[in-house]
Amino acid sequence: MSDKKQNILIVEDDTFLQGLMANKVNSNGFEITTASNGEEAMTALAKTKFDGILLDLMLPDISGFDILENLKSDGSKIPVIVFSNLSDDKDIKKAMSLGAKEYLIKSNFTLEELIEKLKKVI
Amino acid sequence: MKDLEQENKELKEALEFKSDLISMTAHQLRTSMSATKWVLKMLLDGDLGPLTEEQKIFIKKTEDNNEKMITFVSEMIDINKEESREIRYTFGKYNLKELVCNTVGEFRGEAAKKNVSLKCHCEEFSRPVEVDREKIQTVIQGLVENAIKYNKEGGSVTLSSKEDGDFVIISVEDTGIGIAEKEKEKIFDKFFRTDSAKKHESIGSGLGLFVIQRIIERHNGEIWFDSKEGVGTTFNVKIPFNQ
Repeated sequence: MSDKKQNILIVEDDTFLQGLMANKVNSNGFEITTASNGEEAMTALAKTKFDGILLDLMLPDISGFDILENLKSDGSKIPVIVFSNLSDDKDIKKAMSLGAKEYLIKSNFTLEELIEKLKKVI
Repeated sequence: MKDLEQENKELKEALEFKSDLISMTAHQLRTSMSATKWVLKMLLDGDLGPLTEEQKIFIKKTEDNNEKMITFVSEMIDINKEESREIRYTFGKYNLKELVCNTVGEFRGEAAKKNVSLKCHCEEFSRPVEVDREKIQTVIQGLVENAIKYNKEGGSVTLSSKEDGDFVIISVEDTGIGIAEKEKEKIFDKFFRTDSAKKHESIGSGLGLFVIQRIIERHNGEIWFDSKEGVGTTFNVKIPFNQ
């Protein structure tokens, strides 16, 4: 079995939340790459093959939905967990139909629960 | 004079603006409360260094308050959705006894924490009941949650259900603080909380029963209660087998 750590892309524009998530994911044995907007996320995705993505939906430039759409049209198999505070049924349905594996509402989950979900989907 | 069509259009735009404003505010509040939730958890878990017992108590209290505010914001979002009719009801036929008992099961831990005994006496119905599964779960959850929250130490909450012709009746009985006579007529009003509820639990939106009543109305049913202050309350929900 390879010792190589799995690499997770964290897309989150709130730098404080991003830092907390990055610390927790990293301390659970994952490599991490962070992106604060859609452009950074797309650049990272073009450069690196990730094992999983934690994706916020409201980003300052493009939306998380755009990223999901892009991944879908590229035929990507990278599991994506949407981690957002949007909770409208239409947002959840849209994200799931675009291939998200999970849709978690940030305020309802602890970081430990996020890690559990991450380990389950990748 | 503006014609009716123009007024309707303006009213619709104003409602949409209000709805968007609430959604945006809720999103911002949730972001801030998420950060608070995660940091408090890190502190309590000792991730940021050891804490004294007194510090832990203060942080736990802050965590509890933050959780209450998260619930409050979720309720605001629900009511906003309900008001703007964003929520579409999806009716299906379900075994209501199973639905009720499973929902009650979720509250065993909460009841034990408050030393309240939780009983479920539901009879098997002769046929499935046509409901929106999630909405009816919200109703049962809301009623059981209130019955536990506003109960007394060592009290009890009893759920029962029965058939009544073309209807089913679900009842949630508690031995809690009860509702004062003068406050009974306002109990389903939006944002209303009784004086004793406010004393018992400082944070609450006063939206729970309002939302529940709306859901029951959308099921062509009715909700009513019997209550005696200091003795307890029984909420009854009656909905038809078929929509």
